[in-house]
Amino acid sequence: MAISIPVEHVLYLAALLFLMGLAGVLVRRNVMFLLMSLEVMMNAAGLAFVAAGAKWGQPDGQIMFMLILALAAAEVAVALGLVLQLSRRFQTLDVDAADELSG
Amino acid sequence: MVPALPLAGFLLLLVTEGRLPDKAVAAVGAGSVGLAALAALVVGVQFVQGGHSEYALTLWTWMAVGDFAPAITLYLDALSLVMIGVITGVGFLIHVYATGYMWKDEEEPRGYSRFFAYMNLFVFAMLMLVLGDNLLVLFLGWEGVGLCSYLLIGFYHKDAANGLAARKAFVVTRVGDTALALGLFLLFWELGTLHVREALDQVAAGALDKGTITLICVLLLGGAVGKSAQLPLQTWLPDAMAGPTPVSALIHAATMVTAGVYLIARMKGLYMESPDAQHIVAVVGLLTLLVSAFTALAQTDIKRILAYSTMSQIGYMFMALGVGAWSGAIFHLMTHAFFKALLFLSAGSVILALHHEQDIFKMGGLRTKLPVPFWCMAIGSAALVALPCTSGFYSKDAILLTAYETSGWLYWGGGVLAAGVTALYTTRMMALTFFGESKTQPHDSSHAKFARERIHMWLPLTVLAALSIGGGWLGFGVLDGLLGPVGAFSHWSPVALVTMIVPLFGVLLGVLVFGGRIDVSGFVASKPGGWLRRFFGSGWAFDRAYDVVFVKPFVALTRVNKNDAVDFFYKVTAGITRGCHYLFALTQTGRLRWYAANMAFGLVIVLLIAAAWL
Repeated sequence: MAISIPVEHVLYLAALLFLMGLAGVLVRRNVMFLLMSLEVMMNAAGLAFVAAGAKWGQPDGQIMFMLILALAAAEVAVALGLVLQLSRRFQTLDVDAADELSG
Repeated sequence: MVPALPLAGFLLLLVTEGRLPDKAVAAVGAGSVGLAALAALVVGVQFVQGGHSEYALTLWTWMAVGDFAPAITLYLDALSLVMIGVITGVGFLIHVYATGYMWKDEEEPRGYSRFFAYMNLFVFAMLMLVLGDNLLVLFLGWEGVGLCSYLLIGFYHKDAANGLAARKAFVVTRVGDTALALGLFLLFWELGTLHVREALDQVAAGALDKGTITLICVLLLGGAVGKSAQLPLQTWLPDAMAGPTPVSALIHAATMVTAGVYLIARMKGLYMESPDAQHIVAVVGLLTLLVSAFTALAQTDIKRILAYSTMSQIGYMFMALGVGAWSGAIFHLMTHAFFKALLFLSAGSVILALHHEQDIFKMGGLRTKLPVPFWCMAIGSAALVALPCTSGFYSKDAILLTAYETSGWLYWGGGVLAAGVTALYTTRMMALTFFGESKTQPHDSSHAKFARERIHMWLPLTVLAALSIGGGWLGFGVLDGLLGPVGAFSHWSPVALVTMIVPLFGVLLGVLVFGGRIDVSGFVASKPGGWLRRFFGSGWAFDRAYDVVFVKPFVALTRVNKNDAVDFFYKVTAGITRGCHYLFALTQTGRLRWYAANMAFGLVIVLLIAAAWL
């Protein structure tokens, strides 16, 4: 624990990562990239937790990160199923092709 | 027990939906009513032997609302006993006849089962009406009778005119039913019970003032007038001839039109308390019997003649109730059931033999070709005209003489005049149908032959013919004991003599006129004569008057209010809701990224608000 990074820097990085992920979700149409952007957003949140846990010397932040990992695994399992369905039904990975529920 | 059998017959025919063979349908349809008639006979014998003890059988409580708990109770006394005897007895004979009449019917070959289902329901409803211990049960039967008449009048539903006639019958009687319902509400409001005997006991104890009694009586009379086709709600009855002939017989003889007479006879205690109301009943009867007798004089359709004669005879019954000849009215109801059923059924035989020809001017000379209907119709006519020694003579005499004794010469004179006119139009009908030169040949198709030869067509006719002649003695033997003296012909007096002579004179006049001895063609062709004929022929223009006064304005009103002003408010509410729905539906693009962007944007707004707040 020689070098100590100020917690603000870490939070800035987390915010940057989160915004990059969000931009990816909003801009990309390919569902694979969309999911990857989602992962980035979740890891940004995880980073913020870890940084906060380190600041106060509590294990809670790391526990939250474990939970986020589990959530990410579950999300990927469901999402890959959806991706398979999407490619089978529409022969494309473009999410905007699946707008059948539009009112 | 008695009403359960026709109900069972109806249900059986209903659930099999016409899948039973026709013979089984006939057995069920007529058999259920026949068994009911037997049961009624047994009950009657027990009733007489048991010393006229009134008997009430509570089946179950219909509903219990606070203190108001009407029970489905059957109640038997002398009056309802006579009624169930007439309904099941005459009804059974009509059912038997109908098994032949409707057999392989040309217009409605697949309706055999439906027909008997309706007929059984009709008899059941009428039995509930007369056996009900409670005015609510009576009302239930009352409405059931109305429903069945609607179904049966419109039985030949392929012709729009028949549907129209059925609707007219339904709507016109509904006017009367509304009055009846109001009368029942008022009675319940005042007395807190619809139980007949309790209500009458309370009235006899003076629980109501005179004005209220009169009002209730008039409202009940409104219902009776509608159901019994009396002035001013009589217009549905002639149009009701659109139904098959056995239906006409059932409506006119055993059920339906007698319901009004029964209602007033049942509420006797109420009417006794109000001389005004009784007076109104008598006037309604008198007017109806005169108007319809003259109308019958100008009809050309054999069934319409009989329909108007029914109105006129019911008019006698109403007059009898009005002048206080209570048992006389029921006596006439019974004899009328016999001879009117006979007349209708023989007319049905004629119509069937002539292939559904009903215009008497196209008949003629049928006396030798259709002997059984001819003799039966002659006997029925004699009873209708009240020739001496027939049943109609005793009952009509009883009414007219009581009218003379209690209410003076006006009612008596009107009744006697109408009796003369009755004789005239009956003779006209007989002369044009059965005498003179032949204009239409009876068809010798297998159907018509079947109708003349099959025993179940002519057996009811002969039984009814016997009853039409001998029914008068039944009246003296049975009704006297049950209902009190019917007050008939007891001693010679000028009044009695005139009462007896006038119908004979009417027949004589009819024979002279329609036998060609007196030439009236000059008068008929003249202007007032033609006008009079058209006026009578249209039933004193009541239909046209109602059309102008009620139907046309109503139709105009509905046309103006086609878009229903009241509905406007609700339509606007619905419109707003729908508009919002479309607006929100626009946001539902189905694009995942659009949703995510919205979520992020919303989150930012929430965070900003939270930051500003903190």
